[in-house]
Amino acid sequence: MDRSEGIKLILSRITNDLIVANLGPTTFDLHFLGDRPENLYSWGGMGLVSSIALGIAVTAPSRRVIALDGDGSLLMNLGSLATIARQSPSNLIHIVWDNQQWGETGGQPTHTAFNTDLSKIAEGAGIPNVSRTSTIEEFSTAFDLALSSEGPSCIVARIVEAGKADRPEEVEPNANLIRFRNSLD
Amino acid sequence: MSWVSNIIAGLKSKNINVISYVPDVVTWKVLKELEADPFFTVIPVAREEESLGVAFGVYAAKGKAAVFMQSSGLGNSINALTTLAIPYSAPFLMFISLRGDLGEFNPGQVAGGKAVRPILDALGIQHYTLDREEKVEETIKGASELCFNGKEPLALLIPTILTGGKRGSF
Repeated sequence: MDRSEGIKLILSRITNDLIVANLGPTTFDLHFLGDRPENLYSWGGMGLVSSIALGIAVTAPSRRVIALDGDGSLLMNLGSLATIARQSPSNLIHIVWDNQQWGETGGQPTHTAFNTDLSKIAEGAGIPNVSRTSTIEEFSTAFDLALSSEGPSCIVARIVEAGKADRPEEVEPNANLIRFRNSLD
Repeated sequence: MSWVSNIIAGLKSKNINVISYVPDVVTWKVLKELEADPFFTVIPVAREEESLGVAFGVYAAKGKAAVFMQSSGLGNSINALTTLAIPYSAPFLMFISLRGDLGEFNPGQVAGGKAVRPILDALGIQHYTLDREEKVEETIKGASELCFNGKEPLALLIPTILTGGKRGSF
């Protein structure tokens, strides 16, 4: 599977759930495939998408929050997995698109291209529901399970890097944040 | 200690109820009270930059957050300020306990402590020093208005002259 297949599947199964997208390809793809007010796009803060999602999850406990992370970014903020496990928000789903490369900087292999398994790190951190998937069928099953389970859940989805959508014509972080906040009303 | 209760009163009066932190000896005097108070949702993190991500998320969900860190943690937080909080205009309060301040024993803390204000100035982040116990609550109230109305992160520095530092006195 690739990232856009995964994002399409997520968008087909949710209504007003909040999504926080990692910077780079995940933000470009989510914006292209399904721009909506409940999407918060990242234009900075590499590594922090799961921490941002945690802050949203504890502040809006009646809403489900989906963080779309990447392997290179999560490797920069592994402590966040332990922080999420300690806080254990039931409304948080953390998805990691694992393409085994720093895609935005020339496709250099990340540590997951070698011996590192982020799903085992998530388990060891104490996240209660962890899945590792490599096909769209497996991802579909894991995402449905996460939707029906008490969270937090973490899905490490191995993907093939199939390219990304163009970035939005105008990059407006503050306008995006204001729209996201208004969507909570 | 009234500086502790004054900080808590300031936070409560402005409804700043999500607190994320990496502890130190000084701020723990406040944080342990916050941990025990159901008014606050308290989120300890593994590294300071995470706490800024959390605070950003709290604002995105229409809440108000403060982070607590030691001055050494400011260095770990700069990318979250420059690439996230500032370009998105996302406000939160940063309480920074100063090392490299009066009474310091550790040479390893001096360079970072001295650099706190120049770093904040370079980033254009307003900062106020809580050096008078009787003004602590009022300063936090005013800082909260400025921060959340101005939509910028704001730093409140906790100097050792207020707290006595790690040992409580020099």
